[in-house]
Amino acid sequence: MKVSKLLLSFVLSVSLFTQVLSAQIASTEALLGQSAVSSSKEKLVQIISREDVAKSFQELGVDSKIIEARVASMTDEEASKIAHQIDTLPAGADAGMSVLGTIVFIFLVLLVTDILGVTKVFNFTKSMRN
Amino acid sequence: MISSSGCAPKNPLPLNNNYSSYKIYVPFVTPRSELCASTSIGMVSSYWQTLMPYVPRLSLSELDERTLIPAKGGTLQIELIAAARANGLLAYPIEPTFDALFSELSEHHPVIVLVNRSYSWYPLWHYAPVTGYDAKEQTILMHFGDTPNEAVPIETFAALWERSGNWGVVLLPSGQLPASATAEKFLRTAYDLEKIGMPDEAIIAYKSALSRWSNDIPTLFALGNAYYNSHQITEAEQIYRKILLIDFKHPFALNNLADILCHTNRSDEALKLLDQVVTDNIEIQVLIKNTRKEIHSGCIPFIKK
Repeated sequence: MKVSKLLLSFVLSVSLFTQVLSAQIASTEALLGQSAVSSSKEKLVQIISREDVAKSFQELGVDSKIIEARVASMTDEEASKIAHQIDTLPAGADAGMSVLGTIVFIFLVLLVTDILGVTKVFNFTKSMRN
Repeated sequence: MISSSGCAPKNPLPLNNNYSSYKIYVPFVTPRSELCASTSIGMVSSYWQTLMPYVPRLSLSELDERTLIPAKGGTLQIELIAAARANGLLAYPIEPTFDALFSELSEHHPVIVLVNRSYSWYPLWHYAPVTGYDAKEQTILMHFGDTPNEAVPIETFAALWERSGNWGVVLLPSGQLPASATAEKFLRTAYDLEKIGMPDEAIIAYKSALSRWSNDIPTLFALGNAYYNSHQITEAEQIYRKILLIDFKHPFALNNLADILCHTNRSDEALKLLDQVVTDNIEIQVLIKNTRKEIHSGCIPFIKK
């Protein structure tokens, strides 16, 4: 909880600071086709997204000391994408399959091929060709 | 296209391509379980370190703790990009094509790709840097696993890469441009640096973009704003004036230049600029109205830094 409070104050201070700085000028955001002036509602949504990401990270076992830095290094769009899709986004993993994974994999393949009648590895399978 | 039946066509490369062989000497790091994203960033970072005065900001173990999600046993693409930026690199996702991949290789930019080593129903996601291509053997060279520059047959590579939607990213030190970049997409990538609090790197990136697309108004405008936001007002003014030389009616440049003029005791000229704005856009009208109001009420001079 401490993390999310810290994060909230950080994001708020950053957004307030930039707002004071460029109260009158047209932002780069505006030219890139996003809304010219981001509303306070949008800002709030973005802050909540970051909180959601921090919470998910905590649940997924990320060290709480580093969560703040990780979330701060994302843009608003990136944070909100993660907040909404963390369960479905692919996560690039290691260079090889685990031993257990390989065994399960081979078992499944042989099970299917057994059922199709192209192998006969297991005694409990009944081929479709029988 | 690769069909879902798993039968890859003989040659997945575009017809009539003239891709030649490339070999990029990317330092190799032995893979560590679950940390292929961090390892890939580490390898590409040390590659740039061998070529130019770029110094990575994070150690390999710092990259590890910024990328791994323990319960997922891997790294999200967004976090690979965010960690690369935190390491002082610009991360540009390439177009999902062999043309884009090979145009980066031809300029000796290693490309980190996401592949699925298995099928979609049992995905085994993996990141690895592509380090070259052997046109004679038709193999992609990459630091895939335990062997440096492992030669992967192009058909196999195409099948694995296709399962990630041909996702790939180039990581470049400030001042370098992706070979395959478009002005607009590069600008968005550079602007991301600014958004996460790396304005100096963003300014360098905008300037290098202008070396290729010298009259690109959005890039000029982003540079002007970055100068403005980092209190380099003289530079910002020059850039806004340059935009007006290309497009004298550009409403945003007129507005921002007027703002600077007002804050530097040139209110008459500022009001004249605002008179040139012609727009149907209500948001821009509000912006101009506010600036005009501010000019009439008197602007506070910029605080000298």
